[in-house]
Amino acid sequence: MATNSAASNTFFPEPRILPGGEKEFMMDVATSDLEVSMGPQHPATHGVMKILLRADGEMVTAAQPHLGFLHRCAEKIGENVEWLQYLPYTDRYDYLAAMNNNLGYSMAVEEVLGVEIPKRAQLLRMICVELNRVASHLVAFGTYGLDLGAFTPFLYAFREREWLLMIFEKICGARLTYSYLRIGGVFNDAPPGWLQEVEHFCDVFEEKWKEYYNLLMVNKIFVGRTANVGVITPEQAKDFGLTGPMLRGSGVSFDLRREMPYMLYGQAFEDGAYEVPVGKGEMGQLGDCWDRIYVRVVEMMESIRLVRWCLGSIEEGPVIGDVGKTIKVPPGEAYVAIENPRGELGHYVLSDGGKGSSRCRVRGPSFCNLAILEDIMPGTLLADSVAIIGSTDVVIGETDR
Amino acid sequence: MDFQGIYDHLKAKDTPGLLTADHPRLPDPENKKDKGRFGSPFVEVDPQHICEFMVACRDDDRLGFDLLADLSAADPAEESEEFWVLYQLLSINHRHRLMVKSRISKEGANINTLSGIFRAAQWHERECAEMFGIQFNGHPDPRNMLLPDDWEGYPLRKDYEFPEEYHGISCV
Repeated sequence: MATNSAASNTFFPEPRILPGGEKEFMMDVATSDLEVSMGPQHPATHGVMKILLRADGEMVTAAQPHLGFLHRCAEKIGENVEWLQYLPYTDRYDYLAAMNNNLGYSMAVEEVLGVEIPKRAQLLRMICVELNRVASHLVAFGTYGLDLGAFTPFLYAFREREWLLMIFEKICGARLTYSYLRIGGVFNDAPPGWLQEVEHFCDVFEEKWKEYYNLLMVNKIFVGRTANVGVITPEQAKDFGLTGPMLRGSGVSFDLRREMPYMLYGQAFEDGAYEVPVGKGEMGQLGDCWDRIYVRVVEMMESIRLVRWCLGSIEEGPVIGDVGKTIKVPPGEAYVAIENPRGELGHYVLSDGGKGSSRCRVRGPSFCNLAILEDIMPGTLLADSVAIIGSTDVVIGETDR
Repeated sequence: MDFQGIYDHLKAKDTPGLLTADHPRLPDPENKKDKGRFGSPFVEVDPQHICEFMVACRDDDRLGFDLLADLSAADPAEESEEFWVLYQLLSINHRHRLMVKSRISKEGANINTLSGIFRAAQWHERECAEMFGIQFNGHPDPRNMLLPDDWEGYPLRKDYEFPEEYHGISCV
């Protein structure tokens, strides 16, 4: 817009005099950057988050996420409740993957406790966690299509997710905030016929998945909106501490399940039960929005394969280890990280031997993944900002905790 | 590398700021008051040299800690005179991690920022500063992260007093 001043003399050498007597300079108008406050109630921010955008015409020149609208003091609550009482609060930070949150917290407490988890409990945990990963990625996939104007995949994705939520309801009675994975194991054994239903779900989902892939991922409009948009280089990704599909989308093959195995993931990988998909820049540049969503979509299939492996190796036995009715945690501290659908979910727990934790730090992957917006959004088109925010798959409950 | 390997390597390289390693241990059977320490091992680092230590960890070929997974602090007890600043380092290539602890005094708590070394530190430090009142010297953007700008007190300190009201909204 800076070129206008030169042109003004050519077209309007003299300012026009308005009826009120004021002079009007038609072309000699300096345009300033426009500040757009996107949110806190914007559908594309997937929750209550505000992004201050500065735009020069259609070009974004600066972006600044503002968080805290959903801050619920989870870490402070953790210091004021007993060990087991905190578990329902973990459900509520990443509400799309509550099983994973339960697991992260339970494993951190178990690290200090030093308790052994029975094999059946571990496998039930893995089945629930992987099914929850599928449910979470289905939301990511569906709503991302919705952000970019594709309505149909969203309805299909939620149909399958609904089935998954029913499966969860059958095992623990809740559809979203499960609290099923407990410190020491799981709350109860699977009801009769539950494992068969999970297997049936896997059979059906494998067929549906191919349809979803063809419906959205290779759709010409979708590729046009996401390829070469919001490119994150591997160096940038590491510098910002990105994890999960955001890191793998940039071509860095790193998955905590494979790299630092916990539970039975190491054994499952040796048996070839799953692979770690990485972005390859198939449709555009490496690390663009398409690569990130591609990683999530392929991961759904890998999770289904993992569930099948678990179903094949499950055996009878107890479902909770020896932790006692009131959990007594000896003094100590531990940091344990697991692979959440969004990346590394870390819990640092500090015990002074009391009834509850003395410090309960949650490292939410969405929080770290969001920080990169400040860096990648300047220089992109305003219309692409929705595509970039959606590709981070942010859950506000977790950034704000 | 496992924790012992990392610690030995740090020691052999004479890394600036490295103090000790803290391993989990069982209770001492002779001393009844000693309850031991459980959980995971960590290294302690002098807060004066935290930046040099982090640069050494990041640039060393065999350590290669290229990702700062987490940065937070802890207030161990109300009567304690120090905060712990906790860093979680992660190496993508070598598949190992390291917990680093720095003890700083509660009185005028401050430590140097890491945002020039790992960009990831910037948001974590903002959160840590508002929650504990720790000043990160040289931080480029020291605004509040999650709390409102006019919030009083530092919520995650053990001596924090809950407010009765906030702008006419009752908090009790």
